[in-house]
Amino acid sequence: MLEQQELERRLQRCIGVVVGPVKSWDPVNQPMIRHWCDAMGDRNPLYTNTDFAATTRHAGTVAPATMIQAWTMTGYTGSAAPGSQGLPEGCDSHYALLTEGGFESVVAVNCDQVYLQAVKPGDELYQTSMLEAVSERKQTALGEGYFTTELYNFFNQLDEKVTEMRFRLLRFNPPSTSGEA
Amino acid sequence: MNRVLFSEVQEGLELPGIEIDVSTGLIIATAIASRDYQNVHHDRDQAIALGSKDIFMNILTTNGLVGRLVTDWTGPGGELKRVNIRLGVPNYAGDKMLLSGTVKSKRIERGENLIDVDVIGRNSMGNHVTGTVVVALPN
Repeated sequence: MLEQQELERRLQRCIGVVVGPVKSWDPVNQPMIRHWCDAMGDRNPLYTNTDFAATTRHAGTVAPATMIQAWTMTGYTGSAAPGSQGLPEGCDSHYALLTEGGFESVVAVNCDQVYLQAVKPGDELYQTSMLEAVSERKQTALGEGYFTTELYNFFNQLDEKVTEMRFRLLRFNPPSTSGEA
Repeated sequence: MNRVLFSEVQEGLELPGIEIDVSTGLIIATAIASRDYQNVHHDRDQAIALGSKDIFMNILTTNGLVGRLVTDWTGPGGELKRVNIRLGVPNYAGDKMLLSGTVKSKRIERGENLIDVDVIGRNSMGNHVTGTVVVALPN
């Protein structure tokens, strides 16, 4: 297991390293939008009614803004779409480091999405991400751990940023497993 | 179809709430629609083995429902600008969540008519989600 000082030193080196691009498997498309709206119970005609949407300022349907992550998720087999890139060579994954350090449990704390531009059928999206900040080791109600903040940027085929997302997680070591091994 | 205009909105206004029946089916349907195949969102045995009470709703769905609460109210003229949420207790299968929103403030920024809405999603265990949504409205 990684000692605290070594773990924290290596985590600091992960900050600012850009991971990606992670490309979407499919262009933004009406069938996936319809599935999403069906499951969410969202009847907004701007998303699915092409006749109505043609009369709006968007001149066509748009994808729900909150659906942004669904486009670049890797899917059931976890494989990345062609043209995607992972971590640059020689860089640690902060996620793997924390696991190695014994902070295997994870809970999401905050998700903050800022929508800069509408996403429309036909758009080909990709995402980049980077670790923006790591807290000091903290004692929380769930156990000892670290808060990590990751910045995700989503772009379209014109390299215009459409969404910015900050995601904060707590990686922790539940008390029941502390001190083992 | 709702068509809420910026001029009509007053601070303190309460949005129509949405009651979400957090069924096993809903959790799975929304997880798959968001392409999130983590086992804790569709496999009860594995969720329990990992220390959960049951399968639970994924974050993308919580995010989607919070956005829906606001755009159900505004109608298609409302444009989401920001959804900023803090996550609390899980939405386990079999629970119900009441999503509610209150207009906190209205402002004009860079020519856009913006409304800040405070949102809370409460289930039987407490707050599943709290946060703020910014939506732009037509005049």
